[in-house]
Amino acid sequence: MSTIKKKVAFKTLGCRLNQYETDALVSDFDQAGYEVVDFKDAADVVVVNTCTVTNQSDQKSRNIISQAARNNQGSLVVVTGCMANNYKEKLEGQDKITYVVDNERKASIRQLVDAHFQGEILHPSNLEGDVFQFSTVDKSLHTRSSIKIQDGCDNFCTFCIIPKVRGRAVSRPLPEIVENVKNTLANGFKELVITGVNIGRYEWEDKRFEDVLEAILDVPGDFRVRISSLEPDGFGNRFYDLFKHPKLAPHLHLCLQSGSDKVLLRMRRMYAYSRFAEIVDRFRSQWPDFNFTTDLIVGFPGETEVDFQESIEAIRRFQFSHVHAFKYSVRKGTRAERMEDQVSEPVKTARSAELREASEQMREAYLKRFIGRVQTVLVEKIDSKGFASGYGEHYVPVRFKAKNCQKNTFQKVRIERLEGEGDNLELLGQLVED
Amino acid sequence: MQAIKVDESFYKVKEVRRLTDETFSLRLPKSRFRFHAGQHISLGIQGDYQSREYSIYSGENDEHLEVLVKEVKEGYFSPKLSHLKPGDWVEVNGPFGKFRIDEKKIKDHKFVFIASGTGIAPFRSMVRTYPELDYQLIHGVRYGHEAYDKEEYAPERHVLCTTGDKTGQVNGRLTKYLKKATFDKNTQFYLCGNSNMIFDALELLKNKGFDRDQIHCEVYF
Ligand SMILES: Cc1cc2nc3c(=O)[nH]c(=O)nc-3n(C[C@H](O)[C@H](O)[C@H](O)COP(=O)(O)OP(=O)(O)OC[C@H]3O[C@@H](n4cnc5c(N)ncnc54)[C@H](O)[C@@H]3O)c2cc1C
Ligand code: SF4
Repeated sequence: MSTIKKKVAFKTLGCRLNQYETDALVSDFDQAGYEVVDFKDAADVVVVNTCTVTNQSDQKSRNIISQAARNNQGSLVVVTGCMANNYKEKLEGQDKITYVVDNERKASIRQLVDAHFQGEILHPSNLEGDVFQFSTVDKSLHTRSSIKIQDGCDNFCTFCIIPKVRGRAVSRPLPEIVENVKNTLANGFKELVITGVNIGRYEWEDKRFEDVLEAILDVPGDFRVRISSLEPDGFGNRFYDLFKHPKLAPHLHLCLQSGSDKVLLRMRRMYAYSRFAEIVDRFRSQWPDFNFTTDLIVGFPGETEVDFQESIEAIRRFQFSHVHAFKYSVRKGTRAERMEDQVSEPVKTARSAELREASEQMREAYLKRFIGRVQTVLVEKIDSKGFASGYGEHYVPVRFKAKNCQKNTFQKVRIERLEGEGDNLELLGQLVED
Repeated sequence: MQAIKVDESFYKVKEVRRLTDETFSLRLPKSRFRFHAGQHISLGIQGDYQSREYSIYSGENDEHLEVLVKEVKEGYFSPKLSHLKPGDWVEVNGPFGKFRIDEKKIKDHKFVFIASGTGIAPFRSMVRTYPELDYQLIHGVRYGHEAYDKEEYAPERHVLCTTGDKTGQVNGRLTKYLKKATFDKNTQFYLCGNSNMIFDALELLKNKGFDRDQIHCEVYF
């Protein structure tokens, strides 16, 4: 490469997995001598990591691609992510896009770009296809780093496009995961988030999800582990026991999607409400403050008022501290697209508002429990006024006066009060002096 | 480094078996394809961007890979499948899914298969794969002629429920039969077909005291 550094900018849409994959690409480009610049700045290469989970995300991805091309005329525009898988041909036909790289080959984008600048035009289909080829993240914008253990899903939930765009489930060999964890810790990260499309379905040789979790927890070092998002499959005793480990954060994002068994079946979700309740109750009987967050879909085809009220009831019953609510939107290519009894837009909007209100109430009630208690906060940011903020082990947002503490360190904080409203609620506290 | 598995492949249709006016089976060569009875595949037609899931209708050791399809008149894909002829290409992805028999349970458990319409497909695969299986098959259809490949099941194991004529052992929905039936405590239940039937059957089984862990579901629509 010439002495003038080539500039590369990234834009990520969608899920944590996409964020992780962008972070790994940022590292890769950085190590190879590129200068990583902000998406707003002029760059020689722009990589857009797209999402296609909802129609809105499709539209957003399209807008970002146009913006990237407009702001960087003559630059290389690389489009990757789920949209690249779902609309490959359409995207390849557009002049403003230089390369369309599918998810399987995403990890090789830097090689593609290197080759391009050396005058070699590769077709992305010639790149190595390995969903776990990403290098260890070392220059992420975050203090937590994701560890990707699995990709793909073949559950075929009727609202979900992922089985069609991310392909069938593949699991990363356990020794590679442990290696990745060690490298990530060596790069200074203090919190690891276990990530994948459907991580509970991990299956490599005779190893299952619990084995991966245990192997990661057994790696020496001062760090903690969080599980990103999990399906409420049947967990064995071992899974519950692992939460006794001091490094494993007492928080699960357990996807419920609906409180109605009828709706769950039409979604092809293979658990019942009672199974979900069993899991939550078992955790809370041992750890009363265990934090549960969830996803709920509002207005799924055929959802009656009674079904919807069951979702509201679920929020109260399980005291979720956060609900990621999706207003159902017809997703092309999914089974739910073809279902009768689509719920009208005004009804969906009204139900979303009601759901938001219920979930905000529960969030407030949950956070209040921490007043007077101590959380171990991983400092993510210190603002100009000297206030540090980050998350406690229960994944509750905490802010406190920094007093000589550094970013990316664990600090014990006694919680004093709750501030803000809605999504911006935050616990305020004081450093506990040793 | 693990290479990603490329599992997309094209198969030539070998035979189309007409079972009723609306229902047919597609036979594909099986040679390379490995699966577990109960799993499904995703089928595509050359030149069409859509695909649909179908349970595998043949046994693990059969000569063909077979699916059972009902043509849904207002549907998009199944009418296209019904026009396929021997020699046409289809794209097969898979196998997918966890709707499978736990082989360790075969020796000392009873199996009850509950199907509506083409939901019988995975059960034929299971019965053909495990000849030693102690099973009962409860099949709900509208008319008697929709008891697909009925002669393959031992008559004492097969309960046909018909709502549109009186040819079944039970005249009415399969839930009518379930309400009265008794089952061993250690039975493994497998439910397959439309979600309304599955919902009703689940309720009945739960009311009879069976645990959700004993009940496995595969929802078609
Ligand atoms: C895991 C899985 C396995 C499946 N296995 C089979 C199988 O073995 N055989 C099979 O015929 N179908 C099976 N299906 C359904 C199949 O994938 C298609 O939905 C079906 O062939 C109709 O496709 P279509 O495009 O013509 O209509 P779609 O647009 O998909 O469906 C339109 C409507 O037709 C009705 N419908 C769908 N499938 C059926 C059916 N099988 N019988 C009666 N009504 C139906 C529903 O009301 C649906 O909303 C399975 C579905 C899933 C998720
Ligand atoms: S489990 Fe369901 S919702 Fe989650 S990725 Fe798989 S198909 Fe999609």
